[in-house]
Amino acid sequence: MKKILMAAASAVLACGIGFAAVGCGTNGDIVVISRESGSGTRGAFMELIGLEDNELVAGADEANSTDVVTSSVEDAEKAIGYISLGSLDTSRVKAVQVDGVDASVANVKNDTYKLSRPFNVAWKKGSTNELRDDFLKYVASEQAQTIISADYIFNVEDAETYTPAELSGTLTIGGSSSVTKLMQALAEGYMELNDGVTITVTQSDSGTGMTDAASGSIDLGMASRALKDSEKEKLESTAIALDGIAVIVNKENPCTNLTVEQLKKIYNGEAKNWSDVDVTFPEK
Amino acid sequence: MAEKVVSGAETLKRRQKADVKELLMKIIFIIAAVAFIAAVAVICIFIFAQAYPAIREIGLFQFLFGTHWWPTIDEPQFGIAPMIVGSCYVTAGALVIGVPIGLLTAAFMAFYCPKGIYKVMKPATNILAGIPSIVYGYFGLRVIVPMIADIGGGSGKSILAASVVLGIMILPTIISVSENALRAVPKNYFEGAVALGATKERAIFRTMFPAAKSGVMTSVILGLGRVIGETMAVVMICGNSAVFPDSIFDGVRTMTANIVLELGYAEGLHRSALIATAAVLFVFILIITLLVSLIRKKAK
Amino acid sequence: MAERVKIARACGTETGEETDISQIVPINRQSWKDKLRAYTNKPFSMAAMLLVMIAAAITVGVVLWILVYTLLKGIPNLRWSMFEWKWTSSNFSVIPALFNTLIIAGLSLLMAVPVGVFAAIFMVEYAKSTNVFVKIVRMAAETLSGIPSIVYGIFGRIFFVDFLGMGYSLMAGSLTMAIMMLPLIMRTTEEALLAVPDSFREGSFALGAGKLRTIFVILLPAAMSGIISGIILGLGRVMGETAALIYTAGAPVNASSIAGLGQPGCTLTVYLYTMMTEGMHVGEAWATAVVLIVLVVLINGAAEFVGNKLKKEYN
Repeated sequence: MKKILMAAASAVLACGIGFAAVGCGTNGDIVVISRESGSGTRGAFMELIGLEDNELVAGADEANSTDVVTSSVEDAEKAIGYISLGSLDTSRVKAVQVDGVDASVANVKNDTYKLSRPFNVAWKKGSTNELRDDFLKYVASEQAQTIISADYIFNVEDAETYTPAELSGTLTIGGSSSVTKLMQALAEGYMELNDGVTITVTQSDSGTGMTDAASGSIDLGMASRALKDSEKEKLESTAIALDGIAVIVNKENPCTNLTVEQLKKIYNGEAKNWSDVDVTFPEK
Repeated sequence: MAEKVVSGAETLKRRQKADVKELLMKIIFIIAAVAFIAAVAVICIFIFAQAYPAIREIGLFQFLFGTHWWPTIDEPQFGIAPMIVGSCYVTAGALVIGVPIGLLTAAFMAFYCPKGIYKVMKPATNILAGIPSIVYGYFGLRVIVPMIADIGGGSGKSILAASVVLGIMILPTIISVSENALRAVPKNYFEGAVALGATKERAIFRTMFPAAKSGVMTSVILGLGRVIGETMAVVMICGNSAVFPDSIFDGVRTMTANIVLELGYAEGLHRSALIATAAVLFVFILIITLLVSLIRKKAK
Repeated sequence: MAERVKIARACGTETGEETDISQIVPINRQSWKDKLRAYTNKPFSMAAMLLVMIAAAITVGVVLWILVYTLLKGIPNLRWSMFEWKWTSSNFSVIPALFNTLIIAGLSLLMAVPVGVFAAIFMVEYAKSTNVFVKIVRMAAETLSGIPSIVYGIFGRIFFVDFLGMGYSLMAGSLTMAIMMLPLIMRTTEEALLAVPDSFREGSFALGAGKLRTIFVILLPAAMSGIISGIILGLGRVMGETAALIYTAGAPVNASSIAGLGQPGCTLTVYLYTMMTEGMHVGEAWATAVVLIVLVVLINGAAEFVGNKLKKEYN
């Protein structure tokens, strides 16, 4: 018994050490950070750069939230990632230009920045909910415009002023972590005007939001991408805002601009080193 | 005289009443014990029932040994071999780091530690046990991962990062269980060994540890169970790419990470496949539990 | 004194005249020099000793590292506004999440404690340990305590949330946590009952009390501190749990108020998780982590205190 255990333990050790010795530095130097496959940001990003979901380079990190992406890029010199433009913290990471256009709210609005996607909210087809309709009315109103335009693009033309409808009850909203930040602010604005209403915003990912909305376990689902055809069969939706996707790199990275074609190469694994996309790191 | 008879009958009645009460409560106690079995049964039934469609559709062999996890494309593939391998690597790594440190620390606390230091050290290890795993995860992401990125290149989210953090997480389990086991060994074993001329270390490692073997083994296996099941910390620091790793500086996806990443939005076969992943995990844990009870039996 | 002189005689230091006791060198004491000499003769022992010391230092170092890191990150962000009654996206109050935690803990304990305690009574007071049924129950308890929390989460999602139609709610979370806590409560109660001396039982029976009376009037009060420490540990378990609660009680980001039983609500740890992963308010998240760790330390301390009291009562 003891001998077998000892043998097993040493085999495991030997394996580990072997792996450590063999595997160093064979994989090129771009550290590709992606999101998990349920993420709307990933869905939108992959579609925008023209890749199927399973074409993502094998071995890319799949971070489970916006902050894990930001932290990874902040800490690893040769990393690249993508996050919602509204969640970009320029004190931690650097956003690069895409096809020579800055990632900014203004450029998303005038359609020159290529990586943009709608924020959608969706609800079960045919379901009725007075409170939800009233909340949606608020989201498309002048009051909401000031909240949304701070970091995103409000895409309703000549919005009306919202007047509270004296409703009460609870509304549950859930889904995309990219939309959560905005939805939280909107919910708070709405609750300020409507005393009797409680809105809970749950954060998961776009896929979860759509699935839960379709099953009716939440009143309103959030997605940071366009709805898939299979989802459109069960859900009605409306876009509440437009958001850009910022491509972020470490602050030490000299890269300032990437084309969509280069992004595609990085994310499908054709480009393994930063030199493959014409970026040279200064010698240390 | 008559009075006495009545009171006797009353006593009898009272006793019968008491007997009924005793019996009733005994049944309630038994029901409480049965609740444990029922809980395990219900968990088993629901997990396995929901996992079965996936296993039937994909095939057990294809599911366990398939090498591609592409759940969302048109012709999805569900193979959890990379995740099983990932879980194994992370577990092995965490044990390689956590077990020696934990056992040696247990030896320190049982045999070397002055009383004053013990009073500080014991609560300190207990605090380690009380810190929520999410804090470990974040600590790993902001401290351990960048360190590993500096050493090994890449993003740093890797088998090594997960192993280090999980190795720390199992320290309190290993330390407290094996310390108790070491203390339970009769003192005269130690004294006997020293009297025969062994050094203190020889007495500890050649006499006390073998005598406390079953407790020490239990501590290691409990640590193993904790590592395999750990989720929230691991998902932040293991990289989550569902491919076979080339080195300990590569990212992996563990079974638990696979579940927590995708369960939210998964539907149909995909969802069933994730629950099947949980079922596999469950079987792993069952085997571990069996191992523990076997060790206990042998020790007796 | 006489004893010491005797020792001195045995040691051969007695000269027949007055004995200077301070001159006596105990032979079972080693000086540092002796130890050093012994270790240089036995390099393996020395290596082992050094390894033990290094390991202990690593353990202490790691505890300090994590604690200091968390405190440094968190304490500068602690504000009084974090303890306001209502949560808003400007004050990040921990109070609603704290109350949700207490509600879930309270409910799950309410369900788990009777079952766990009764089962323990059955195991200790009624059943013989060779019984097959007892073995199965014990096996079940061990399995329950080994199941990872993510599997509990999935089970809770399938069974309570979907199958029983509770939706994401504090109730579903509490039920899941109750099952998770069962083995813990049973184990601590069992230990406490076993620690009660048999003389208590015999005395009670001899005075004519029935079994039930003995259990409820004599044994349970005597084992109370053990049961309480189990309850406190259970509370700690709810405090630290994430994976099982996300899928059952939900993870609302805006913990604006204390949730009702049928509503989703996040506990302190789940709240911390959503804050940390969202990444916009990392400072506040660390401050929340500090609050959480302080609470966990207090809870563990309380459990330890009660547990020690138990030991003192019978030893």
